[in-house]
Amino acid sequence: MIEKKYTEDHEWVQMDGDMATVGITNHAQESLGDIVFIDLPTVGKVVKAKDELCVIESVKAASDIYSPIDGEVSEVNEKLSDEAALVNQDAENEGWIFKIKVSNTDQFQDLMSLEQYLAFLEN
Amino acid sequence: MPINYKNGIINEHLRVRNQAGIFDVSHMGQILIPLTQDNIKSLEKFIPLNINNISSNKCHYSFILNSNGGILDDIMLSKITYIKNEYIYIVYNSSRKSVLEEIFKKTVRNYEIIENRCLIAIQGPESFASLKEILNLSQNMNFLNISVIQYNVSDVIISRSGYTGEDGFELSIINKHAEEFLTKLLQKNIILCGLGCRDSLRVEAGLSLYGNEINENISPIQAGLSWAIDKTRLIDNSLNCSSILTEQLNSPKSIKKIGLIPVNKTMLRANMPLCNEAKKEIGYITSSCYSPILKCSIGIGYINKISNMSEVIFVKVRDKFEELKIEKIPFIKKNYKKGDVND
Repeated sequence: MIEKKYTEDHEWVQMDGDMATVGITNHAQESLGDIVFIDLPTVGKVVKAKDELCVIESVKAASDIYSPIDGEVSEVNEKLSDEAALVNQDAENEGWIFKIKVSNTDQFQDLMSLEQYLAFLEN
Repeated sequence: MPINYKNGIINEHLRVRNQAGIFDVSHMGQILIPLTQDNIKSLEKFIPLNINNISSNKCHYSFILNSNGGILDDIMLSKITYIKNEYIYIVYNSSRKSVLEEIFKKTVRNYEIIENRCLIAIQGPESFASLKEILNLSQNMNFLNISVIQYNVSDVIISRSGYTGEDGFELSIINKHAEEFLTKLLQKNIILCGLGCRDSLRVEAGLSLYGNEINENISPIQAGLSWAIDKTRLIDNSLNCSSILTEQLNSPKSIKKIGLIPVNKTMLRANMPLCNEAKKEIGYITSSCYSPILKCSIGIGYINKISNMSEVIFVKVRDKFEELKIEKIPFIKKNYKKGDVND
């Protein structure tokens, strides 16, 4: 079953088995403005939840992207190397950033549902 | 003034380069000082211009300097006739209002800090065509010309100037007429632009920003702006820092301003350290932006002049050293309306 959850750092995480696809939310891309460069993570990197993993550079500022979960980076969205603006155009689909082979799937359950994330944005 | 309006920084930037955009820069300081010999003498203690000699109806880029030659602010100064009286009109940075207004208070007489006028900049190759449908604009107005014209029975101070490297105008207009004027302009395929593209446009054009390239500890000579100093003002002590500036002019420069472009994809940011091949710090980035014209990150920085100009320069971006190319400033060709044969 594929399930999608959200972090307080405005990332979305879509879980399929033990594979998590991660990107930033539409709300995040709107606040960042035009995204011009993404310093993608290295495939094979082992990370813990909350580790800094890559950086998104917009015309306004640089923003760190954190790993939402423990695991190993298994794939990055190479399209973003030449077309970072894809994240502005389609943040929650085509604009995914990296995939993580998750070592602790329990952590996923601690993330926010869409309803919880929307309530989080309200506050 | 917001960072950007709904079109976003890159779209606003490209509109100014290709058509025209409007900046509401009413936050900037404007002052009218009666053109008397006493006021000229007082101002010339701080300003490296010969105010008696400069032509009327022409804007001059200049500075307010401290006694060490440090820049208290960069300004646009002109002599204009307004309601039948002659004035020195100065436009200055909003972030420097308190410092400058304290100096004006102590040194000049009968001045008026303008609070009842908006300052609107219209920038881009289509700005003349759009403005002339609303204002009685002369074809003969060239880059840096300034005049007072009528709009809605009030006086508008208009100069052909700006901060983008494009042809354009800056208008000082009575507050109560500004909204109607802007509404008319916005019907001419011109969009409102924010601070974000104001910055990326001026970085591409290689123009200095107070607080970035220039500050109280950097002189115009160190900042590569000695062209804006009237050298005849350095021969006596009527300018408060003439001996220091003379000494700087006659000695090798301690720092050099350079343009920078990264070899690989990365984003330069102000205050990142610049290093030589041995990774020794030799300078820093003063300003940077993503250039929508060059489609990459660009930066302006200072390096110690003792560093070998032929050596490779790196910037430390987080934990990586990124190689940089030195580029000419400005990064783009300026598009001013000059009155010469090449126009």
